[in-house]
Amino acid sequence: MLENTRREDLTYVGRGVDRVDTLEKITGHALYTGDLRMPGLLHAKTKRSPHAKARIRRINTQKAERLPGVHAVITGDELDNRLGLYLVDKHVLARGSVRYHGEAVAAVAADTPAIAQHAVELIDVEYETEEPVLDPVAAFRRNAPLVHPDLGRYNYIKEVFTPLPGTNIANHTKLRKGDIEKGFKDADLIVEREYSNPNVQHVPMETHVAIGQWLPENRITIWTSAQSPFTVRNLFCHAFKVPRNQVRVFVPYVGGGFGGKAGIGLEPLACCLSRKAGGRPVKLQATREEEFSLLPCRSGLVYKIKTGVQKDGKITAQKMTLFWDAGAYADYAVNVTRASGYSAAGPYEIPNAWIDSYTMYTNKPFGTAYRGFGHVEVSWGVERHMDFIAHKLKIDPLEFRKTNALKPGSLTLTGETVTEHTGNVTRCMEAVSREIQYGSLTKAEKAREKRTGMKIGKAVVALHKAPAMPPFTATAVIIKMNEDATVTVNLALTEIGQGAYTAIAQIVAEQLRFPMDRIKVSLDSDTDKEPYDWQTVASKGLVLSGNASILAAQDLLKKAYETAGQVLRASPVDLDHDDTNVFVKHHPGKSVPFSRLAVGYAYPDGNAIGGPLIGVGQYIAQGLTNLDKETGQGLPALDWTYGAHGLVVEVDPATGEFNVIRIASAFDAGKVINPKTTRGQIVGGVLQGLGTAMCEGYIYDESGRLMNSSFTDNKILTAMDVPEEMVGIAVETPQIDGAYGARGVGEHPMIAICGGLGNAIHNACGADLVHMPIRAEDVWRAIHKIPEPPRTGFLRGKSCKP
Amino acid sequence: MLYEFQYVAPKTKSELLALLDRHGDSCKIMAGGTDLLVDIRAGLRKPQVLIDIKKVSDFKPLSFSEKEGLLIGPATTCADVIRDKTVSREFPILIQAAKQLASTQVRNRATIVGNICNASPCADTALPLLCLDASVHIVSKSGSRIVKLKDFFTGVKKTALRKDEVVEKITVPSSMAGGRGGFMKLKRIKGHDLSLVSVCLVKKGSLLRVAIGSASPTPVVLKDFPAQVTADNVADEALRSVKPIDDIRCSKDYRLFMIKTYIERLIEEC
Amino acid sequence: MRVKATINGRRIERDVPDSITLLHFLREDLGLTGTKEGCGSGECGACTVLMNGRTVNACLVLAAEIDGAVIETIEAESKDGKLSKLQEKFHKHHASQCGFCTPGMVMSLKSLVRENPKPSEEEIREAIDGNFCRCTGYKQIIEAVQDATGQLKKPEDIHYA
Repeated sequence: MLENTRREDLTYVGRGVDRVDTLEKITGHALYTGDLRMPGLLHAKTKRSPHAKARIRRINTQKAERLPGVHAVITGDELDNRLGLYLVDKHVLARGSVRYHGEAVAAVAADTPAIAQHAVELIDVEYETEEPVLDPVAAFRRNAPLVHPDLGRYNYIKEVFTPLPGTNIANHTKLRKGDIEKGFKDADLIVEREYSNPNVQHVPMETHVAIGQWLPENRITIWTSAQSPFTVRNLFCHAFKVPRNQVRVFVPYVGGGFGGKAGIGLEPLACCLSRKAGGRPVKLQATREEEFSLLPCRSGLVYKIKTGVQKDGKITAQKMTLFWDAGAYADYAVNVTRASGYSAAGPYEIPNAWIDSYTMYTNKPFGTAYRGFGHVEVSWGVERHMDFIAHKLKIDPLEFRKTNALKPGSLTLTGETVTEHTGNVTRCMEAVSREIQYGSLTKAEKAREKRTGMKIGKAVVALHKAPAMPPFTATAVIIKMNEDATVTVNLALTEIGQGAYTAIAQIVAEQLRFPMDRIKVSLDSDTDKEPYDWQTVASKGLVLSGNASILAAQDLLKKAYETAGQVLRASPVDLDHDDTNVFVKHHPGKSVPFSRLAVGYAYPDGNAIGGPLIGVGQYIAQGLTNLDKETGQGLPALDWTYGAHGLVVEVDPATGEFNVIRIASAFDAGKVINPKTTRGQIVGGVLQGLGTAMCEGYIYDESGRLMNSSFTDNKILTAMDVPEEMVGIAVETPQIDGAYGARGVGEHPMIAICGGLGNAIHNACGADLVHMPIRAEDVWRAIHKIPEPPRTGFLRGKSCKP
Repeated sequence: MLYEFQYVAPKTKSELLALLDRHGDSCKIMAGGTDLLVDIRAGLRKPQVLIDIKKVSDFKPLSFSEKEGLLIGPATTCADVIRDKTVSREFPILIQAAKQLASTQVRNRATIVGNICNASPCADTALPLLCLDASVHIVSKSGSRIVKLKDFFTGVKKTALRKDEVVEKITVPSSMAGGRGGFMKLKRIKGHDLSLVSVCLVKKGSLLRVAIGSASPTPVVLKDFPAQVTADNVADEALRSVKPIDDIRCSKDYRLFMIKTYIERLIEEC
Repeated sequence: MRVKATINGRRIERDVPDSITLLHFLREDLGLTGTKEGCGSGECGACTVLMNGRTVNACLVLAAEIDGAVIETIEAESKDGKLSKLQEKFHKHHASQCGFCTPGMVMSLKSLVRENPKPSEEEIREAIDGNFCRCTGYKQIIEAVQDATGQLKKPEDIHYA
């Protein structure tokens, strides 16, 4: 939409304007869910399972109920309501059995958090423990103990997903393209390797928090730190069979989401406690430890890649088998599997492909969406694999990537034809390779090696991602004009830090030709007042809500012109406007100010026409299809954003310690709406990707207990870890159906950083790594060929052998 | 906090000692609170009474004299030490290690004495103090005693301190003033982190001393070496003296390797 | 425990329960919710406030301990409806994304700039080592401080290829 607008014709789009949401944040006045105060507010705590797998024999809550200050105690027995986005496999509280260490089995609402905690400690639960299954490959084995024996009875979206009852497979996504046997026959070299990644936490700085109030006759209000208010409402109503208009979901400022707050979380439990406490509002806020061990994380992954390649570097075939460790529940994780099923090869053309992507249930904390899901994880193995093959062929890894890169005319894995409008991954690779002076070390770098005794390595990696969403994903935006011709924009896409509202404000300003300070995007979202939006996920906001904003602004102007036409006695087609007036094109002196049209035009005698000006824009993804369940063929992608990273890394060849010196990252953004927010997404995403690559990841003991559920042992990167230089580069191949040609770049900076780091380290010192995160210790082991004790490897998410 | 305790802040030493005598097992001494409050929040400790020693007026602050050496009071924070010009001149190694302890916010509260009394195997400030031959001055209602720091640690989070005792100061002999050395700490990130393993070396005159953290149940100081000792000799002694374990932070063999590496590098640098 | 303290320039005198933290006291009793809880164990710095001019994690200070102390929180950073220089530059450089770490971050930097009006990049990084930010990647925060202290050479931006 408007993708061919020339840069010089744009006033607000493309400029680094100030963010519209920061004033309240930098002054401490922004209210997040946990900051809300309301009369009669109760506080909730949960009782959690000390076993990874057990039957619940008995729960005794009597002592807890008798404790003064306790208003409600609830157990899973009372709540036969199932929750889930794509596969409805969760209860509000564990019922009958527990499936992961830390799962909530009971909850209390009390006057204070301390009383609630005390009451939780008084709840007595009797368990009968069972052998947990903790490894996704072991879970795949015939006769593996079942995590969900009732899988066959669960509801799920049948057009898209394939659970296999009687197994631990929550979903099997298949991709079949071309003739895989022939592809391998045509190959000169076949390379097969296995890779793995652990579970990782999103770590929003604000932990999950919800306040629920369930009044008689099912009038329900939820205040929550959710990314997707309408999805919370939808899933809630589905679970409790309540009409949508009886439930109001209110999302104030959100302290980061990254996918972890995309679905439904603590809201139902807070509401159920409220119902039991006679309708008093109940607040349930996760502690940081609960954020790690109660709430969902990124699925782990164990995968095998087998690639056939010709001597000249052309890939002929690729077979991939992916075992996603979804943990105890897979309501969202099945879609992670699906996303990896249709995109797993990276931005490369694979003429003959065969992918089996399995969502495996295990007795661990459960997986969900995490920024770039299905791609960040797989990009580790794929990008390591690409380098490994190139080295085998003695071809430069960048040349190897360029040879196989998707380009106009290429067919993607699902059979979609790449066009010159799709985006240009080769340009992204070339841009970062120039930026890091790929190919050799500069004089300064050689001098640095000499001075420090470190070895410097460089790598270029490439990536792609399209929004992983249903093909019919929809949104709407409403723009209301105020009496003074300022406007207020309402939408249910949430502002979680990504800068979406600033971009929307710029687009509206551009369309209306109003200055930015006359555009306000209403900063909280309320399902009673905002129009529908599916979810704030998948880097789809700018395309879908951006288009809806354009349409809403055009609708607003159309309505203003209709009234103005009557006032000015002119046809609307002869009208134009500036930031103040609507005027007749051929008699510019004949005009009427927006402020007199805003809430209806009144003639001097009191007669009136028009009415409050409201513009509505609806937008739905168009032309996409579900994928064929047997072959994976179809059109899943709203837009493909391509990108590349170039990394310069130095490694201590003795100890394996390493420093990231420089990272350049390029994305084909289609059109950069705001270079400052774009850079914010790039730098922030790259650093988050580095965290995934070098230090984050769940570590369990043999019984399935999470050992590092706090910042003490689950480090995230700090300001000290920022690479010396970080460069963000934009390529602009306009997206025809993107707002002003724009594509999303929210998730992409995080993708393939892991593979890039692994490759740069390999190029620096020869350490060949197949498991991430990459700790200094792992590099040391790889350099000196010292095997890791098998036990510690397993606990960090390396798989046992199938 | 999710459970209730009583907070008391005695103003004098005798008041403090009486409180300790009275509450014994059920109380816990708090200085900076940066470890204790974390443990309480996590439910690892449940004292009934918290005795804040920061307001005891007759405890001495940080000072240095030729006669007494360096005196570190029970309320002296890491930040106090880092900012102190005399420490910077006479005992720079202490500052080097103190700067590696957690973050600015924590260093502004955490005390050196608290770091020692917490007796974690990874206590950052323990290593330079061991190298500097520090002494721990202990008082109780029944009297006072002095324990060498190397004898103070008795196990993981265990010390020679009895329930009714409190550390009133740590001293470093002025004979160690002017000692130079280095502190190396292996971390998972460049940002603030606990040590996976750490080595501290101090050289003064003809003496060389090395201490090692996160490699045994307690921080360990090796026997004294002559200043001209070879790295191999020190490393051999080190590997004989430590007992690192495999844990979620690091494995035993990498710890051993890094101890050796740090010793080689420190001897070369210092 | 009876405490007298000065909070954001105002003297207060209150009875506080012995076992509550300064963070709890600020947020629940005084309604100063600008100070956030990110972990409750002194790792993330979201609750950073100034106590007698030095940064502390309010989750690791008991309310009872502030007797006689001067406390400054984010709510006192802008005066008479005007942003402080640091806040202005945070705004200009997009140094706040989700904003949850921002109050603590600003307090750490306020303390830094007060003591060190021209901090180097290394000193800025060290000063906020105890303040986690999951959104920004810290770069724009560092640039905001460099700008606020008159040291930003050229504003960084994305390049177009």
